[in-house]
Amino acid sequence: MPVRTAKQMKPTLKVTKSRTPNQSTSGVLRVNQSATNTRSVNSSVHRKSFTLAGDSKVLDKGSVQTHKQTVQVFDETGKDVTPQPLYQPEAGALQPKQSKIFTNHDTSGSTLSDFLSTAYQTTNASFAAPFTRSVFGSSSVSRSSQSTMESMNDEIEDPSSKKDISLSLSDVQVRREEIKEQIKEHMLDCMVDCYLTETETIWLLDMPALSVSMDSEEAEVVKGRNMAYQELCKNRLGNDKYMERPMQTFNGAPKAKEVQSDSISMVEKATMATHWDIYDSYVSDGGAGNAADGASPTKLDISTLHRVHSSRPLDRTMSGASAISTASTSSSRIDTEAFVVQGENESDPEDVLHSEKFLQDLLVMERAVLENIYQPKLAAYRQLPILPDPNREQKAGDERDGQDDVSLNPALERLWAFNCELTMGRNVSNMAWNKKNPDLLAVGYGQFDFKDQKSGLVCCWSLKNPTWPERIFHCESGVTALDFSTCSPSQLAVGMHDGSIAIYNVQSTEKTPVIDSSDCAHKHTGPVWQVRWVENEHGPGGEDKRETLISVSADGRISKWFLRKGLDGIDLMKLKRMRSVRKHLGVKERKIEALISRHASGLCFHFHNNDSNIYLVGTEDGLIHKCSCSYNEQFLGTYTAHIGPVYKITWSPLCPDVFLSCSADWTIQLWRQDLFTPILGFTSTHKAVHDIEWSPRWATVFGAVNEGRLEIWDLGSSILDPIIVSMARPGVKLTSLLFATQTDCVLVGDSGGQVSVYKLKNLNAGEGKEVNTLHDIIRSTLASQL
Amino acid sequence: MFCVKAEVEETLKRIQSQKGVQAIIIVNAEGIPVKTTLDNSSTVQYAGLIHQLVMKARSTVRDIDPQNDLTFLRVRSKKNEIMIAPDKDYFLIVIQNPTE
Repeated sequence: MPVRTAKQMKPTLKVTKSRTPNQSTSGVLRVNQSATNTRSVNSSVHRKSFTLAGDSKVLDKGSVQTHKQTVQVFDETGKDVTPQPLYQPEAGALQPKQSKIFTNHDTSGSTLSDFLSTAYQTTNASFAAPFTRSVFGSSSVSRSSQSTMESMNDEIEDPSSKKDISLSLSDVQVRREEIKEQIKEHMLDCMVDCYLTETETIWLLDMPALSVSMDSEEAEVVKGRNMAYQELCKNRLGNDKYMERPMQTFNGAPKAKEVQSDSISMVEKATMATHWDIYDSYVSDGGAGNAADGASPTKLDISTLHRVHSSRPLDRTMSGASAISTASTSSSRIDTEAFVVQGENESDPEDVLHSEKFLQDLLVMERAVLENIYQPKLAAYRQLPILPDPNREQKAGDERDGQDDVSLNPALERLWAFNCELTMGRNVSNMAWNKKNPDLLAVGYGQFDFKDQKSGLVCCWSLKNPTWPERIFHCESGVTALDFSTCSPSQLAVGMHDGSIAIYNVQSTEKTPVIDSSDCAHKHTGPVWQVRWVENEHGPGGEDKRETLISVSADGRISKWFLRKGLDGIDLMKLKRMRSVRKHLGVKERKIEALISRHASGLCFHFHNNDSNIYLVGTEDGLIHKCSCSYNEQFLGTYTAHIGPVYKITWSPLCPDVFLSCSADWTIQLWRQDLFTPILGFTSTHKAVHDIEWSPRWATVFGAVNEGRLEIWDLGSSILDPIIVSMARPGVKLTSLLFATQTDCVLVGDSGGQVSVYKLKNLNAGEGKEVNTLHDIIRSTLASQL
Repeated sequence: MFCVKAEVEETLKRIQSQKGVQAIIIVNAEGIPVKTTLDNSSTVQYAGLIHQLVMKARSTVRDIDPQNDLTFLRVRSKKNEIMIAPDKDYFLIVIQNPTE
């Protein structure tokens, strides 16, 4: 309730502040504070005490700002009795304390009442501390209390605290300067509203009473105790035993003490918990149990990547990071120089370099390098468009000119050659594609002639590396025949000049054959001129297709080989000489026959594509025999036309009944199975034709290799001349031919050890497979012959 | 073991002799060039820079699928191509200019 006060001295007053800060302070301050203090302290209020105007805004301002201004204190007579500060504190020393106190002062009047009540209770209220004083805040209070302070100097002997208080007081007074300034004389008489409210009760001690029932056992004891207590209370007054005695706590003098610690060195640690880092840690911890940190401590790196400096880290993330950092420590220049010292460990990194993995990587790298070099050629091989290199500027003009000259005539474009120093000078005798991987080529090197026989060589070339073969197998004698198996595509059968047959596994890097026929009793005694893996369509019990290895050799035997404990063979056929054919040679033949052997040398054979029972054999005599696996004594038929040894027979892959044969008598003959005379014969030069092959794409196209040149014939265009002719390099003879299975390319091997790859360009033999064309040609030829 | 070493040497020679190959650098796990056909300062520079690139590339690949890993990295530039075969123990770097 508002209290009107105008310089009245009220003996007892519980001064409270209302809750709202804006109003409260004013109410408090107007009360004649001196009155309150007289109670507790015997101070003569000889000062003029004036109330503060107590504007709220004044106080607020005062509470917020703390700056020093001169304070003046006047007593009744108007004399300036401003106490001089005994000690000038530092500007910032007590300010925070004071500001806090001011805010307290604003917010609750309870504190004020508390302090006041404590002031009542203790005889030396002032020592409720500088805080109290400051809380009072009002000039009158502080002033009066200052007076009380001074009057109490005699009583209390504590100079330090006095000093403290005084200095704080002075500060307080300084801070309250603003408020005081605005108090004018005229305001002293105006009525001021005070609001008194009750503050919260603060419990300092709460001992709940314990009640005991009269009937219980303890009742007597409790009663007795109660009585004793009452007695005590009565006796207390005036009793010498109970004396009131003041006590003072000594406030220790604060002392500043400096301590210096070692400088804390800061180390930056960082780790990246990436997705794979977590995965790695999880996998390695799950497997090994402990953190995967067996690595030696890594060096601290001051690079910008903030690598972890780890020595025995225990955290998971740390271990993950350390695993990374050991695996791939930074390569700052500092480190490289530091490692020069590390001489002994150089052998260790070198050893790593000679591991299998490194070799693998080297091979891949080699292929990548070669791909860059051969990319246009390989693209042409694969019939991909050849993209010009965007970085090539100068030669663009030349290339475009070159391309314009290309005519539409069928031609061969030389792409590259499989060649390396190992194969130089060796004669390419045979080539075969791998059945499963059409980019893998096996080439056999061996001399045809009996004289100058060298050791043989089989190289497996990959399209990805035309400069070095993937596998190299050295053989004792010249290689004359090669074939890849179909059922187990890594097996390569090799027939050699000394009659032995070996099977190599090209998947492994072993240099020795898997199996060899040199121990076999039935091995060939003459050079093996051809080996073939032939599929048997009807395996026993309807199993998958099985393969048998069949070879023909100069000793006149066609043998079938089994891969049992060793390589064992049985003879399918023995080639006998046919006297009836050679009638014109007559006398000579009989003599030869008696002297040398009764067998004719077989040079080539080819099983029928559809019927694995029927096959054709070409002999050195120029005869072609049709045989069957069921009869090993007699031929089914004989085709006579050639006068020289038949080097190659090949069934047409697209026309089932037609086959070609080539021979040393400069001719190529086209036959049909049912006619024992050739349908067509092709001659172009006076050189022995070593190899022929049908094109896998067109039924009317085939290629032929004679010693000096490569010829591509297209029967649909001309049956008299080849449509493409390519001369061999000077000094070498072309010896073997192979068509690429999936593209229009032709591989030609020569006696210099090179296998050249040519692309057939502009060869338009027809849209489809031209089987009908071939049949028409045959029919028309036969018709014209009749 | 010995034949692997010989093969490694041979293959390195072959690569070096291919058309356009400017340099082969082999860097070990700590980032130190072990074998190089280039001068020292360039080698060190390449080793440092490529190391960071490979780490980033490997991190990218593995972030997408932690069971995957980087096997080969090719950087084609105007003047040449840098081919890197990284492994946890070494880096194999070949610099080639195929259009020489």
